Amino acid sequence: MDDSFELEYADELEALGNNDEDIEIPSFNRPKSKRTLQFNTPKSKYNRLEGNDDDNFFLHEFQNVPSSPSSPRLEIDMEENNKNRKRAQNSNTLHEDIEDILYELPTLTSLSKRRRIKEQQVDESTLESQVSNSPTAAAIKQIQQHRHEKICSQLVTQSRMQDAEDLERPRVRKHIPNSDFISAVGYDGQRVYMKLWDEDVLESEYTSIGTDSRAIGLLTTPVCLMREMMEEEQSRKLFAESEALDKKVRSLLNDNEKESDNNMVESTELEVNKRYENGDVGDVNKLTEDMKLLWVEKYAPKKYTDLLSEEAINRSLLHWLKLWDFVVFGKDIPKPTKKAGKAEKEKDKKFKKKIQFEVTEVLDKHNRPEQKIALLCGPPGLGKTTLAHIVATHAGYNVVEMNASDDRSVEVFKNKIESATQMKSVMEADPRPNCLIIDEIDGAPGPAINVLLNTIKMTENETAGAKKKKGHLLMRPIICVCNDQYVPALRQLRQMALILNFPQTESSKLASRLHEVVVKTEMLKADLNALLALCEKTDNDIRSCLNTLQFVRQKQKELTLRDVQTMHVGQKDSQKSLFSVWHDVFTMQRVNKNRFVSIHDLVEGKQDGLQTNTISLSSRFEHILHMCQSAGEYDRIMQGLHENYLEAKSKDPRLSGLNLVNEWLCYADLTNHYVARSQDYSVVKYSSFLPIVFHFLYASYSPFRVQFPHSQSDAHQKLIKTNNLLTTMVTDMSPIVRKFSNPQSLVLDLLPPLLDILQPTLRPVNTQLYSNREKEELSNVVKIMISYNMTYHQEKTPEGQYVYALEPNVEEVVKFPGLKQRKQLTYAAKQMIAREIDLEKMRRSESSVPKSVEPVTVEKKEAKPSSSLPNHLKKLEAKSVAPEKPSFNFFGNFVKTKRERPAVKEDAEPKQDISKKDLLDTLIWFHFKEGFSNAVRRNVKVQDLL
Amino acid sequence: MSLWVDKYRPVSLAKLDYHKDQSAHLKKLVEGGDFPHLLVYGPSGAGKKTRIMCTLRELYGPGVEKLRIEQCQFTTPSNKKLEISTISSNYHIEVNPSDVGHNDRIVIQELIKNVAQVNQLDTTQQKNFKVVVLTEVDRLTKEAQHALRRTMEKYMSTCRIILCCNSTSKVIPAIRSRCLGLRVAAPSIAEISQILITVCKKEGLTLPHEMAVKVAEKSGRNLRRALLMCEACRVQQYPFNIDKEISEPDWEIYLRETATMIAQQQSPKRLLEVRARLYELLTHCIPPDIIMKGLLKDLLAVCDGQLKAEVVQCAAFYEHRLQQGQKAIYHLEAFVAKFMAIYKRFLEEGIADIF
Repeated sequence: MDDSFELEYADELEALGNNDEDIEIPSFNRPKSKRTLQFNTPKSKYNRLEGNDDDNFFLHEFQNVPSSPSSPRLEIDMEENNKNRKRAQNSNTLHEDIEDILYELPTLTSLSKRRRIKEQQVDESTLESQVSNSPTAAAIKQIQQHRHEKICSQLVTQSRMQDAEDLERPRVRKHIPNSDFISAVGYDGQRVYMKLWDEDVLESEYTSIGTDSRAIGLLTTPVCLMREMMEEEQSRKLFAESEALDKKVRSLLNDNEKESDNNMVESTELEVNKRYENGDVGDVNKLTEDMKLLWVEKYAPKKYTDLLSEEAINRSLLHWLKLWDFVVFGKDIPKPTKKAGKAEKEKDKKFKKKIQFEVTEVLDKHNRPEQKIALLCGPPGLGKTTLAHIVATHAGYNVVEMNASDDRSVEVFKNKIESATQMKSVMEADPRPNCLIIDEIDGAPGPAINVLLNTIKMTENETAGAKKKKGHLLMRPIICVCNDQYVPALRQLRQMALILNFPQTESSKLASRLHEVVVKTEMLKADLNALLALCEKTDNDIRSCLNTLQFVRQKQKELTLRDVQTMHVGQKDSQKSLFSVWHDVFTMQRVNKNRFVSIHDLVEGKQDGLQTNTISLSSRFEHILHMCQSAGEYDRIMQGLHENYLEAKSKDPRLSGLNLVNEWLCYADLTNHYVARSQDYSVVKYSSFLPIVFHFLYASYSPFRVQFPHSQSDAHQKLIKTNNLLTTMVTDMSPIVRKFSNPQSLVLDLLPPLLDILQPTLRPVNTQLYSNREKEELSNVVKIMISYNMTYHQEKTPEGQYVYALEPNVEEVVKFPGLKQRKQLTYAAKQMIAREIDLEKMRRSESSVPKSVEPVTVEKKEAKPSSSLPNHLKKLEAKSVAPEKPSFNFFGNFVKTKRERPAVKEDAEPKQDISKKDLLDTLIWFHFKEGFSNAVRRNVKVQDLL
Repeated sequence: MSLWVDKYRPVSLAKLDYHKDQSAHLKKLVEGGDFPHLLVYGPSGAGKKTRIMCTLRELYGPGVEKLRIEQCQFTTPSNKKLEISTISSNYHIEVNPSDVGHNDRIVIQELIKNVAQVNQLDTTQQKNFKVVVLTEVDRLTKEAQHALRRTMEKYMSTCRIILCCNSTSKVIPAIRSRCLGLRVAAPSIAEISQILITVCKKEGLTLPHEMAVKVAEKSGRNLRRALLMCEACRVQQYPFNIDKEISEPDWEIYLRETATMIAQQQSPKRLLEVRARLYELLTHCIPPDIIMKGLLKDLLAVCDGQLKAEVVQCAAFYEHRLQQGQKAIYHLEAFVAKFMAIYKRFLEEGIADIF
């Protein structure tokens, strides 16, 4: 995988290597910087003189010559070239040695040009020396001086050498030579022959020239040394460049006025760097200047390859950022740049393989990556912010950073996001698009994060409709950095972000890097062991390590293991998880694990604390206290301890330890209550001593498994449920009953016997067959249940059976596990009671409705606008149903049945006139032309049915 | 027809079965015209509310029995909506302010002001004041009680307040001194058994005297519970069988079993089991002080004479802590642990004495 990655990103990596060059280019174009001004002068000059020279030539040559591997060769060529030229001129032959010509041809033109330029530059060197001490200027000067010296010495020495050389070797002959030869035709039409030299001979000749020149001391310094110096110069310059650029990027948001200051800083910085790289470290002056800079700043990674964080993470972030290339750069530049195009191609062929990266390669409609945001999270000091900056810069973005120091109210946040994602700097003429880095986002207020969310989401919605609103698509990558990704405010953001979890840097990796920095460049003696110990102590916090080291450096020249162990610096408030806190409380600390002697041991004079097998009580005390105080959440810790301490093994035959612990638990509860009631948080600090008691009583070398405390929250849930049951029961009770009962008396006194009372022995027969006594009992039960707002409710058990359960199910309140079940009514009895309850309720509601309401029950929607009195409001007389009245209806059947029914009734009950009249008094009507038996309507009251 | 408790509840002062002299006092108070604020206290099931209701009827006539439930809404200064249900007639209003928890102060202030600011319309025929009945006053927060003390004086002309609680120990002295204290003691066994027999007679049942006494004893001098138990017995079996066990509430049985467990073994493991049972009791809405009391009662049974004092003392200590604290489980468990330690020491000493 790695190899393939390397292959795929070969160009990227190369670009990384030459990063500085790439980045340099814009800076040269920037009119503001002093440096460019310096360059402009020579450029314009030789533009004037050499009109045909292209603008980049100087730059190109300037940069490439020292860095390209062929440069020494070229130097030699140059010498040779010079010699040959002189020789050619002196001998006045137009034909130069063919070998030489062949050899020189490709470079001849450029070399000649270059020489001309160089000569000119020599002239200019005086001019340049006036210019300020800018790094490049100095570098240029140096190079030029070298060249100047070289050329001068060549001029002097070459004249001496030429004659002898020419005599020694005749080049063109008129007659055929006795060895191998090549024939040619000369200017005068004569045939000439040239001897073919053996390659070895030539080779030896060339090398002899090289060695001779060195030996003879043609140059003041040997070529190889010059080369080294050049390279050194180059790297120094590049370093300074990147430094300067870094500064520049950061100060982009700042005013222009500050820029000059920055340059000043850069130059001093450069000076500093130069000095320590030159190796004259003994200088005291230099040291003090050096110390002005925080090491954290000084040794911060400057380019991608410097990063200490895990490679996979670096890659996936870069990968994600590259997914934006199409949108960002394809849009900015009319023709998609080579990089963007390549990235696209790459996407197709290779990103499919990389599954282990969480980066989804899918692009949405707008060719943006699916995950619009990258979220870097991890503990402090691992280089999250640095990574974000470097990757963004590397991918060609202009970094805009927002962090907790900025105002993050909703309005400001919104403005900033918009300005960062939708605009780019015009003034600076910096063509690079912005990449927004939101640092410490976990501290941002929820509403502000919602704004960010909306920026992402809204644009998604907008893709469906036309862009009506002002909202623009998010077209720039946003990288968020946080410590705790589980902050509630980030919950939604997490779902649509690429989450990169920072693991801890490996101690060994960090230590070796520290070693490199500290020992090699800062002259602080430190062995790897001490550094490793420091790394562990700081939990591999790079920043903390560096700060500590710098602190030590100020004081002394050496860092030993002992220093690390006794140092208070380098420790920080690191929050541990609850589980680890509980575990630590119940675990005896092991000496070998904890390789640092605590300060308290030392104070007590236990200098040999490392050797002894036990840890002193006070250090244990201190350890637990510190841990609990940094963990916070005393309530949770207390719950966990309370639920687990009884599992712990301890020698406690008299249970005095148990009592002590309980005493402490009570005390902690009292303080908690006091705090909650009075809002006086000054006593909270005492809560953190509770775990210490547990630790001293129950810590062991073989701890048990700590369980997460559930029972309190479970109990709380159950309590709420029970309370709800009781409240529902109480709310709908009849007032007179309610007056005399409250939930507490319900539970304690009333409900247990009540459930017995509600279960009379009822025979499983129809209620019609009950004796009077039984009927009375039944009705009594029904009344009680109604007045206490209870009923039976059909439920389906998980086994699929139907059962009737009390509603509200107060049986749960009364019933305790492990006690004998109370007798249950049969299903049928419950069903019957439930039915009776419903009937009784209906009866009650019926009787409670006053008589006057009756006419209102007439259905309004039946009203027909046709006649003065609607049909259904007319009362039917008994006569009117007489058979003589024929109703010629479309539906013959209907008419017939209607006629029959009253007839039958009259026959059956001829005497009950009154009751019949009653029946007919009620409203009866039918719908015209509705061929269905239910077209005959009549109002029926509940009481008629009961 | 409903429960005997509700059915045979006396409605007038004259019909109250016990504490007759107290009834006579109340009657005189009502007749005297200058009715004071009342603080009625006593154990549950002693008939406090019945007595209050009777007094109200004495004051206003049968109109007070037309009760209705109303929902009142209040808004706290922090704009939180509170809702509380009240039971009221035309003449009085009854409310349990502790239903809304720590916001009870708002209820006290608003509700009493609302009631007190409206004068009775017709003062010739009836009293010129209304009555506010506040129940469970001992659960009021201190703030609410302080809010109450001034209100009681300020609106004296238009309203009287009857406070009802189990114990006056949690009522601030300022309020106690503003009220006429009225202690409704629990009825004696004899009184309860007499009432049970009377009720059964009215139902047309015959209750043997021994049975009545047995039920009364089981009820712990709680008349409500005695009546309910009696009725439960009646439903289970009639005619009454004296030999049959009277069923107790489950929670009492459970509590007793817990106490037995504590007495059987004293170890952290047992404490863990006891804790689970305590949680079970708490989640069934059994108040922690009742649990503590029940445990103590059952544990004392196994204790030797000299041990009793010590156990009772530590129970009192932890009960006090329980009232001050927040989470009952810690204090209950602390009590159990303490008892275990005491009892274990006692047992070991006993064994040592034998040898």
